Amino acid sequence: MAEILNVGIDLGTSRSAISASNGERFVVDSFVGWPVDMVARKVLKREVLIGHEAVANRTMLDLHRPLERGLLKEGSEKDVEAVRELLKHLLRLVSVNGAIDAANVRAVVGVPAASLRTNKQYLRNAMKGIVDSLLIVTEPFAVAYGLDALLHTLIIDIGAGTTDFCVMKGRYPTEEDQRTLTVAGDSIDTQLLKLIEERYPQANVTVFMVREWKEKHSFVGNAPGPVVVTAPVKGVPTELDIANEMKAACEVVLAPIIETMLDLLARVEPEFQERVRNNIILSGGGGLIHGLPQALEEALRGVGGGKVRFMDDPVFIGSDGGLALAQDAPEGDWEKLSA
Amino acid sequence: MGIRAANIERVKRRMLQQAVAENLDVIRGVPPRALRSGMRLWRLWLRRSMFVLLPLTLAGSSYMIANGNARLPDAPAVSPASQMSMVPLVKQASLVAPDALDTPERMTSSAFPLSVRRVVLDAGHGGSDPGATTTEMMEKEITLDIGTRLKTLLEQNGFDVVVTRDTDRTIALRDRAVLANDSKSDIFLSIHVNALEKYTDSRGIETYYLGATSDPSLTALAARENRVSGYSVSDMRKLLEDVYADARRDESHELATAVQKQLFSSLRKDDAGLENWGVKRAPFIVLVATDMPAILAEVGCISNEKEAAMLRRPEYRQKIAAALFEGIRAYAGTNQSPPTKGNEQNG
Repeated sequence: MAEILNVGIDLGTSRSAISASNGERFVVDSFVGWPVDMVARKVLKREVLIGHEAVANRTMLDLHRPLERGLLKEGSEKDVEAVRELLKHLLRLVSVNGAIDAANVRAVVGVPAASLRTNKQYLRNAMKGIVDSLLIVTEPFAVAYGLDALLHTLIIDIGAGTTDFCVMKGRYPTEEDQRTLTVAGDSIDTQLLKLIEERYPQANVTVFMVREWKEKHSFVGNAPGPVVVTAPVKGVPTELDIANEMKAACEVVLAPIIETMLDLLARVEPEFQERVRNNIILSGGGGLIHGLPQALEEALRGVGGGKVRFMDDPVFIGSDGGLALAQDAPEGDWEKLSA
Repeated sequence: MGIRAANIERVKRRMLQQAVAENLDVIRGVPPRALRSGMRLWRLWLRRSMFVLLPLTLAGSSYMIANGNARLPDAPAVSPASQMSMVPLVKQASLVAPDALDTPERMTSSAFPLSVRRVVLDAGHGGSDPGATTTEMMEKEITLDIGTRLKTLLEQNGFDVVVTRDTDRTIALRDRAVLANDSKSDIFLSIHVNALEKYTDSRGIETYYLGATSDPSLTALAARENRVSGYSVSDMRKLLEDVYADARRDESHELATAVQKQLFSSLRKDDAGLENWGVKRAPFIVLVATDMPAILAEVGCISNEKEAAMLRRPEYRQKIAAALFEGIRAYAGTNQSPPTKGNEQNG
């Protein structure tokens, strides 16, 4: 019998990560593109491009970012195809020789906390034939499981498309334990692009450039220093200080995150509130925003104080949790969960 | 293995079982556990109620038979009609026409003495959210200007007006809905301006009311407008469950029809090329979360150069405000005589 490959997959709006039981881990940009015409196909010499390659060659591609807010969009065949290509690509990356036998793959996939059942069903359909068995869990649950943070913990997972909240109460999270906000990394990109365009109308800036700047320099609160980036102004590479714009854009997510955090904390049983307040974990790329843990702790002061931690390995924290779930699931359960 | 580690393993096993169970429910298409617990309780109640209801029924019928027989000599065989509470003839008719249950008639405002006294005006976007923009103007400025003009017109004609914003400030869609609901208003009108990235030659007007849409462009438009909602997906689900089967939607449709008709007929006079994009359904947050008939009017198209130039003219914005006012008045007119300030009336 061929060896079973267990994988945990964090299928994200912006990036997707995979952790496999053979020790391999990869992260790719969640972009899939098909050459727009014969010329592009000839230049690119490929039928489909995925991840960073797709972004880099986007002018020649019909580019898709199939997971809008972490969810597979309903009714778009091209997006379903893009998700399938993305998943196949992730599995090829972790396979030893680039070839994967779907019959031997068991996958745990993380989705936003408040995904509808129909969204899960679309995803399940999209994964038919790619893996043998599939378990879909909410992303913050996968994070909590991987960290053994199962009791009196609040997970705040800030992705590109969604910010997911989950209070772990020692049971599989129910709807009331979880929230999903659509205010997340993409909201910062949109706002930052708009603010830069307003301040530097002559500068030629794209959302891809803005995303890269955000990943390097994002912050809330006091500016750690000037944020100088280079962008073409009338074709001439020019240095622009975007510290004020960066601060304003990043702080767009702050109020809704604080509001939701406090609301969820207030719903925790009173005797456990203090423990949960002191055990808040930030994950996801958005958690890298400089000053965010401090800003959240500042907001917690009004309700008795609390502690916010950020995990060192935010990129793989979800997929590692998925892998832990995949490895712990009993054989009998996997048989019932065939994709 | 220490006690703590053993506990963690036990909790993990239980959670995994629950995760697998939830996945199996999705695969089998079984309703969510939260709903099923309610259904289980109902079935349990029905089963158990047999033990209570059956003896009660038997005892009751025995009592009635016994009492009826005992009272026969004293009680008149027929009670005088004046002592009975009469069932109106209209309702009795339904008793002899059970088939009517299969084809229920749509309830409309004409069935109720509704009043349109207080109107919520929601100038779209604001503050850090400029909405659609051109180099010369922003949607948030246009909507605020038209909203202010419309407020004046409504107040001059006896309506109470509540506005979600009267300055250039950021206000979450959720807060707009909360304000509208708290104000106990009768209708809600959200004012917006369209922008079409790909079809800049087109210009038209359209009015939305709450409903599901299968049109991807409308879904995208709703997603754009809902972006700073502050609602989570689970909140949205609850809201949608509450309102999709709601008679309020029919009212919203009537209001949208009246407003769209007035907008198009009035503005077409100034611009022969203006297109009527009609009344549409879309799940905008402000329409979902408000308790009263609610519509969202896209009163122009800023991406079209000609229309953008017209929107820059105060007279044209006044004309839009007047058309919106006429639409509201037409809708209100189907329900009542013109409103009188201070005349409280329950809907």
